[in-house]
Amino acid sequence: MGKRRILRSAAAALLAAALYVGIAVPAFALTDAKVTLDQETGGQPTRFTFVATTDADAAISSIDITFPKGYNLGAMKFDVVTLEGLKRIKNNPTGVAEGTTLKVKFDPQILPNSNLRIQIYNVMTPIKGGTHTLKLAYSAETTNPVPATVQRTGETAPYSYATPPIEEAISRWLDQQGPVKSWNGVKALGMFFKPQLIVTSIPLLFSGWLMALSLVAFGFPLAIFGGLSISFMKMSKVPPVRWIASIYINVIRGTPLFLQIFVVFLGLRIAGLRASDFVSAVAVLAVNSSAYLAEIFRAGIQSISKGQFEAASSLGMTYWQSMRYVIIPQTVKRVLPTMTSEFILLFKDTALFAAVGIFELMMYGNNYVARVANLTPYVVAAGYYLIVTIPLINIVGRLEAKLAQSEHGQAPPEKKNRRSGLFWRPASAGPESEYQASAAVHESERWRP
Amino acid sequence: MSQFIVRIEGLHKSFGSLEVLKGVDLEVTKGEVVVILGPSGSGKSTMLRCINKLEQPTAGKIFLEEIEITDPKTNINEVREQIGMVFQSFNLFPHLTAKGNVMLAQRKVLKRSKAEAERIATEQLDKVGLGDRADYFPSQLSGGQQQRVAIARALAMDPHVMLFDEVTSALDPELVRGVLDVMKQLAAGGMTMLVVTHEMGFARDVASRAVFMDGGVIVEQGTPQEVFDNPQHERTKDFLGHIS
Repeated sequence: MGKRRILRSAAAALLAAALYVGIAVPAFALTDAKVTLDQETGGQPTRFTFVATTDADAAISSIDITFPKGYNLGAMKFDVVTLEGLKRIKNNPTGVAEGTTLKVKFDPQILPNSNLRIQIYNVMTPIKGGTHTLKLAYSAETTNPVPATVQRTGETAPYSYATPPIEEAISRWLDQQGPVKSWNGVKALGMFFKPQLIVTSIPLLFSGWLMALSLVAFGFPLAIFGGLSISFMKMSKVPPVRWIASIYINVIRGTPLFLQIFVVFLGLRIAGLRASDFVSAVAVLAVNSSAYLAEIFRAGIQSISKGQFEAASSLGMTYWQSMRYVIIPQTVKRVLPTMTSEFILLFKDTALFAAVGIFELMMYGNNYVARVANLTPYVVAAGYYLIVTIPLINIVGRLEAKLAQSEHGQAPPEKKNRRSGLFWRPASAGPESEYQASAAVHESERWRP
Repeated sequence: MSQFIVRIEGLHKSFGSLEVLKGVDLEVTKGEVVVILGPSGSGKSTMLRCINKLEQPTAGKIFLEEIEITDPKTNINEVREQIGMVFQSFNLFPHLTAKGNVMLAQRKVLKRSKAEAERIATEQLDKVGLGDRADYFPSQLSGGQQQRVAIARALAMDPHVMLFDEVTSALDPELVRGVLDVMKQLAAGGMTMLVVTHEMGFARDVASRAVFMDGGVIVEQGTPQEVFDNPQHERTKDFLGHIS
């Protein structure tokens, strides 16, 4: 038993001796070295904060901080704060950047048991993120075991940041380009068309665009269905049915969509009905647009000459057969331009949903504008709206021209107007105004088959 | 079995306070071609339109063979199948070809097969001399051609009686003949016809009876020779004097 205890004591002594030898050299003149960054992604000017504590047995006279390859210290600035306890010590740091290494000298040297903080500003980090390390090298004076000056290298302080998304990377690259800087120097250009923000807005606003599109993609077909039903109600032989349709159309068309949005969104909540925001928004669009489409359809149906209905009836076709095979097919062609215009209006009106927190284009635009204090995101949002509306405006023009041609037997338009695309629309106000005039006439006649 | 096709008894029709028909009685027997004459506003078109209820009679009865058209229980669409009508303004369906126009009601109302409807359409278009225009749209046809397609469209339903409402009034003079020829041919084939027209020549040549209407009533009727050459009534004389 005693023998064992002796063996154990001997082992402990050996271990202690070994430890003593280790301590004999100043192993950690700097301890707890930590690096923090003020930016979480690469490719941008970043502030590095380096914090460490000097050991009890060593004073530091210089530190070299080496960044990995690819860093740019060209615009770097730094400052140093040294605290001994709570007392701030002036160490008159002087430093130069050599390649990716910042060399700082202290005079007087930093005493043991001091807290050292070096802030390095405007370090340009590479785009690619990951875990990087700072390499440290320093000279320290120690008294343990004997007074000596030691050079230490090979210590590291790790840190990490993320690779930014591609648009961020492009934007940061653009930050560095001379022409971009001059462009942004012109206030109007920089405020509305800042290239960096165009690049970052496009992916950010894309989901808002999809949201706006899906709102109308669901809302408009419902509105067509609702509008058709209401237009038939408006033409009904039964007065109360007609009245209901009239009240609906007049109330919806006579109040702002903005108000309708709030009524539905707040109303549903107060009523305790749990509809998702998306469903509510689609419902508002369908309700609103169906009133307008009802009038468009009714005017279209009534603009078909009464003789068409009489001819169909005289052949023994029922009311619905006449509608289905004679009246509606002719109506579709006539109302298509107006219907497309209504679609354009509806698509633009989705912007109003930003007010009730639907994340559509306008909402994304607003948020981003507020964040970057620049109007470029609005311009990008406008672009997203125009991608949809300009082709449709063009289609409306073509449909109207075609309609005019088929109904008035005009000669086909000459081919030279092929460019009648992007910003110019064929002057076809004629047929539309005539069509509306005829619709008005029919309204006064109030034709009811 | 009565032999009349259409019988009108005491027909009255008012538009609001305006009384257009003030008691019309008329019988049309099978194979008759009745031409209805009269100044504008005399109610002849309205009478014609009452027969297939495009206008709702205010009072009176109308029979098609044994069916009382004016009975509210009568399914008017079934009656209309048997009454062909041709309008002054053609009223072809502009979104369909000539053949499509003739086929539509055959398919949807008579439920004929596509092949049969097409066969009958081609046959009828041939009869009106437009076999080669079957695939033309109405906008590609002249007024006279359109009117002949309209006649073919009505005939394809195998009607028991045909109503013609000033069918040549909207046509240029040189196109009138083609339409009248078709109608003559139809009359010769034994079709029962009621024709509102201003074509006195046609009335003389083709009609089996001429009816003169004025002020919402039938003033005088008889064979064309009686009515044209020896009118009994002052108003008839006056009217004929104005036309010729």
